[in-house]
Amino acid sequence: MDELIPLTPQLWEATYETLYIVGLSLFFGGLGGLLLGLGLYTTRPGSLLGNRAVFGTLNVLVNIFRPIPFIIFLAAAQPLARAVTGTGIGNSAIIFTLSLAAAFGISRIVEQNLLTVQPGVIEAARSLGAGRLRIILTIIIPEALGPLILGYTFIFVALVDMSAVAGYVGGGGLGNFAIQYGYRQFNPVVTWAAVLVIILLVQAVQFLGNSLARKALRR
Amino acid sequence: MPLISLRNVTKSFPPARRGGSPVVAIDNVSLDIEPGEIYGVIGYSGAGKSTLVRLINALETTTSGEIVVDGQQVTGVPDRQLRKLRLDIGMIFQQFNLFNAKTVWNNVAYPLRIAGRSREDIEARVSELLEFVGLSDKASNYPEQLSGGQKQRVGIARALATSPKILLADEATSALDPETTHEVLGLLRRVNRELGITIVVITHEMDVVQSLATRVAVMDGGRIVEQGDVFDVFSNPQQAPSQRFVSTVVRGVPSPDEVAVLQERHSGRIVTFSFRDGDSSQASVFLDLAGAGIEFELIYGGINDIRGRAFGHLTLALVGPAPAIDSVLDAMRTRINVKELA
Repeated sequence: MDELIPLTPQLWEATYETLYIVGLSLFFGGLGGLLLGLGLYTTRPGSLLGNRAVFGTLNVLVNIFRPIPFIIFLAAAQPLARAVTGTGIGNSAIIFTLSLAAAFGISRIVEQNLLTVQPGVIEAARSLGAGRLRIILTIIIPEALGPLILGYTFIFVALVDMSAVAGYVGGGGLGNFAIQYGYRQFNPVVTWAAVLVIILLVQAVQFLGNSLARKALRR
Repeated sequence: MPLISLRNVTKSFPPARRGGSPVVAIDNVSLDIEPGEIYGVIGYSGAGKSTLVRLINALETTTSGEIVVDGQQVTGVPDRQLRKLRLDIGMIFQQFNLFNAKTVWNNVAYPLRIAGRSREDIEARVSELLEFVGLSDKASNYPEQLSGGQKQRVGIARALATSPKILLADEATSALDPETTHEVLGLLRRVNRELGITIVVITHEMDVVQSLATRVAVMDGGRIVEQGDVFDVFSNPQQAPSQRFVSTVVRGVPSPDEVAVLQERHSGRIVTFSFRDGDSSQASVFLDLAGAGIEFELIYGGINDIRGRAFGHLTLALVGPAPAIDSVLDAMRTRINVKELA
């Protein structure tokens, strides 16, 4: 315990960094994943913009990138991160790579949740003269909002997990803190402190996500 | 001029598997629906009636043939124009298909927003519609808080929001219990009478056609096998599918099996008299039998009423001297349809 007290400022700093990395990645990755997921959903044969070629391409793309373990993806995508953010290391690079990886994962979650919208409801909107974009924005997304919120909550937890390897490319956060001050210095109490903060963080976000979803689902 | 006109319309879907043959859902159908009528389309599941109704508002595209609605071509028209056309055609569904994320009010307001109406217009129209379907007190409820009948009434209000000329009802009462069905059919009748809206009713329930429609088409295997006035089709169905449907609601001539059972319980000759609007009345038949000293007993059948016109089949067991019965039956044959079963 005595070893932890002098590290308290670093712990808070690391917590802040984790929130920063995860928050921005969730934003960019979430947006990219939403668009990609909408793309998968709407181009699926028989859907609003049914197009076998586009759907097939997106589908294969997502299937290629999604299963790559994140720590390998981080290394492999480093040149791309450098090209886009100007640096291959540090928090900016990890936010970029994390957003990219998350977008592929989120796209599947978005696609799955949109598929739960009853086709009849979409047909009803069409019968009322609604155009495709209007149907996507005012019917499909609102109808799937509850499960979508839960999906994004799930992704937040996954991002906290993935962001823990940020230290490998010179990024910060709780994962880096636990390895650097806890594991490498044979100081399990410090590691446990990081674990505790992560547990609290995840609990809080899950609670928030659940209550928002409950509101959207009205149950 | 008919309000809805289909000419040699065919719709085929691509084969389910590569190399299979395309599925013909609608096979060379021609149909005219007049303004102000309630037109029934009846058939078993898979007969193509749901596809047929979706061709009218172009939710499905036709493979060949021509559809004209209210003087406007539906076939081969760009999407933008179709969306405008759909504002003039309301549609209700078996599963109601309400927007679950929206309140009753917003469900009904949705088509008005598409039509670009002003806020005040929408406000006034939605109140009026909810009043019409008797759900003013449910405006801020969500669909899951409503009963089946209430959901369908919201569906009707939503379909009528933009004051369409046509309402398409796709199995609109098939998910409802008999009492609620009755209530929704009553509402549809009001929509037709008070608002003058032409209704196309798709159903597999013959009693829906009987109580609602003025004309009916019977579909089987993607084709219309029989069409005409509901009274004519009900009282004298020509085709086998029509006869099967009619027999579900009309107690007609007993089958040979039933005749055998009736014979066990009743003595005498078993004769069916078929009455049709305008023919000789039942009273004159009974009077003639009694006058000839023939004992008779009613053992099977019934009389049906379709909007004030009656028809039906009555099967009697007749006991008396054979020559007397023969002469009375011969005399009646000139006025009504008489069939001796046993």
